[in-house]
Amino acid sequence: MLQEESDLSLIIAQIVQKLKGSNLYSQLERQAWASLQRPEIKLESLKEDIKEFFKISGWEKKLQNAVYSELSVFPLPSHPAAPPEHLKEPLVYMRKAQGSWEKRILKSLNSMCTELSIPLARKRPVGEQKELLNKWNEMGTDEPDLSLFRPVYAPKDFLEVLINLRNPNYENGDSLSFRTHLGLIQVPLKVKDIPELKECFVELGLNIGQLGIDDSTQVPPELFENEHVRIGQKVLAEQDSAAAQQYIRQGSPTALRAELWALILNISSQPEDVLYYEQLKTNVIQHDLLVDSLIYKDVKLTASNDDYYFVFEDYLYQKLPQLPQCSAATTLDQSAAIHIEVLLCFSRDTSVLSHFAYNSASPPKSYIRGKLGLEEYAVFYPPNGVIPFHGFSMYVAPLCFLYHEPSKLYQIFREMYVRFFFRLHSISSHPSGIVSLCLLFETLLQTYLPQLFYHLREIGAQPLRISFKWMVRAFSGYLATDQLLLLWDRILGYNSLEILAVLAAAVFAFRAVNLMEVTSLAAAEAVLADLSTLKKT
Amino acid sequence: MSRILVPCHVKGTVALQVGDVRTSQGRPGVLVIDVTFPSVAPFELQEITFKNYYTAFLSIRVRQHTSAHTPAKWVTCLRDYCLMPDPHSEEGAQEYVSLFKHQSPSMTFPKWLSHPVPCEQPALLCEGLPDPSRVSSEVQQMWALTEMIRASHTSTRIGRFDVDGCYDLNLLSYT
Repeated sequence: MLQEESDLSLIIAQIVQKLKGSNLYSQLERQAWASLQRPEIKLESLKEDIKEFFKISGWEKKLQNAVYSELSVFPLPSHPAAPPEHLKEPLVYMRKAQGSWEKRILKSLNSMCTELSIPLARKRPVGEQKELLNKWNEMGTDEPDLSLFRPVYAPKDFLEVLINLRNPNYENGDSLSFRTHLGLIQVPLKVKDIPELKECFVELGLNIGQLGIDDSTQVPPELFENEHVRIGQKVLAEQDSAAAQQYIRQGSPTALRAELWALILNISSQPEDVLYYEQLKTNVIQHDLLVDSLIYKDVKLTASNDDYYFVFEDYLYQKLPQLPQCSAATTLDQSAAIHIEVLLCFSRDTSVLSHFAYNSASPPKSYIRGKLGLEEYAVFYPPNGVIPFHGFSMYVAPLCFLYHEPSKLYQIFREMYVRFFFRLHSISSHPSGIVSLCLLFETLLQTYLPQLFYHLREIGAQPLRISFKWMVRAFSGYLATDQLLLLWDRILGYNSLEILAVLAAAVFAFRAVNLMEVTSLAAAEAVLADLSTLKKT
Repeated sequence: MSRILVPCHVKGTVALQVGDVRTSQGRPGVLVIDVTFPSVAPFELQEITFKNYYTAFLSIRVRQHTSAHTPAKWVTCLRDYCLMPDPHSEEGAQEYVSLFKHQSPSMTFPKWLSHPVPCEQPALLCEGLPDPSRVSSEVQQMWALTEMIRASHTSTRIGRFDVDGCYDLNLLSYT
């Protein structure tokens, strides 16, 4: 068999294997059995008739969407000789760096446990469980003293690790030469240049209509907006994931966004999903985890930040002009409660563990108390293997404006995390990984704004030190909400995070004139502090 | 037809460069690896598998004896096969690679390596996508390659993170 055919067979085998355990598989089986009653299904042409039935009834489309989803999320199967670690991250030095970084995080968390004399996890006494259940909807409003808790790490700590990444096989030389990188990132990953970016993001070209520009009040809606909305409605009627993904590259109309994102991420709220979410809530009530306090603290820190309130308040006033002022505050408090609920449930969700097959990170391990070293008592901590850092809750915030039903909001967030967000805080060579994004940002800036780049370097304001926090949080909390949602439309549309680096470079370009005049890092930060007025398109 | 690993001896790399190795400053860009097959009967080579480490281009030369009277000749099977599309970046730098007998027209293993049976014709490359029913039947054969996937956890999680209802943990483990 030729190489290409064997690759295709392997991909098919892998997808079939994965879908076999899914809800969709059981549903298809049930549908196939039920269809035998139908008059058009004949025994002599059984296979063809059932296939035809699936096509007409829309089940084939659901299967197509599921296959498309698998292809988008999972990397292609690698060489048969490649071990599992190779799929997580092919470069050995990056794997080692990720391992060291993880060890630091574990040590930090362990120190916190020891200093505060708090266990990582414990079962709640029945009284406490009842109390939490009663106060569920007021979560976050009155919390115990969180002052002793500190975030496990902040983005700037992570940046220092990335700056120190070195390829042992790469000869950089001690002195500045054409081989050393001018920016902070010193690893030679392949990043796209502008011609390649233009080719990749062709739908963002100037001659193609975009929501965010061509739907502004000065532009007559007949020119672009009306037709675009009509096409969006058609895409939703067809329930085609691939078409939705293509469509959303030009932005999504506000009214259609929630449904479009769900279609692209292949999320349909089935009763099983609602039940699963309820089970997660039960887990939260039964066991208390140390990471819960970290989550509370994170939501509180970010929610009490004036900038956060500003961007979301603004959005609320825009979209719901009839909302009185005090309701905005209540809505935000409720939003904080949902935030916390979603993140606490996320920590208990073991289905998230499967994404570690293609994430360079690995879930932390622990042993049941008193059973250290006994493998049958080894567990992951937290159950989903993800330790939140400072700002983590900002990944959920924008979604609260799209989805109001908690289990659906949860599914969307979880899928966004295992497809995109995890890449923003793990060390890998993936083109959408944070290291590549940093290098892409620096390269774009150096190539197209060399004077600005040089000037900022000279005054000790390396551009990446400013833009890193934007990219790590996918601009959440930095852009106005409607602009942020338009940005995340493109992340979904192109199945890539590269747009974050391009936007970061564009921001510097936009403020270039002011930046050329600053003489310190602090002043540069000030020029770039408020992005909420930027129209990102 | 079953495939077996052929025992081979891989020698250390030798740099190809002009001039004295000891005094020369420059680092050579070409290294040679000799592979010998000690005491093995003639076999039909199907596949060569290796893990790359920052080699950009690969050439393979084979020394063959045609008959008892003529001296052994070196034949090039593969010339400048690209392993790294951009040698200054990490693409392909540490990938696992397989080179197949049928892979490209320039890749021909000399006949002397074959068993004394008629050489198989390389399968014709189909136009467009392969026939689905043929592919699905071949999936059965390919199942051996998915051992790795099957051995790992099944797609649906049961959802239990505790051990018999207990999830009391003190500290994280470093191993």
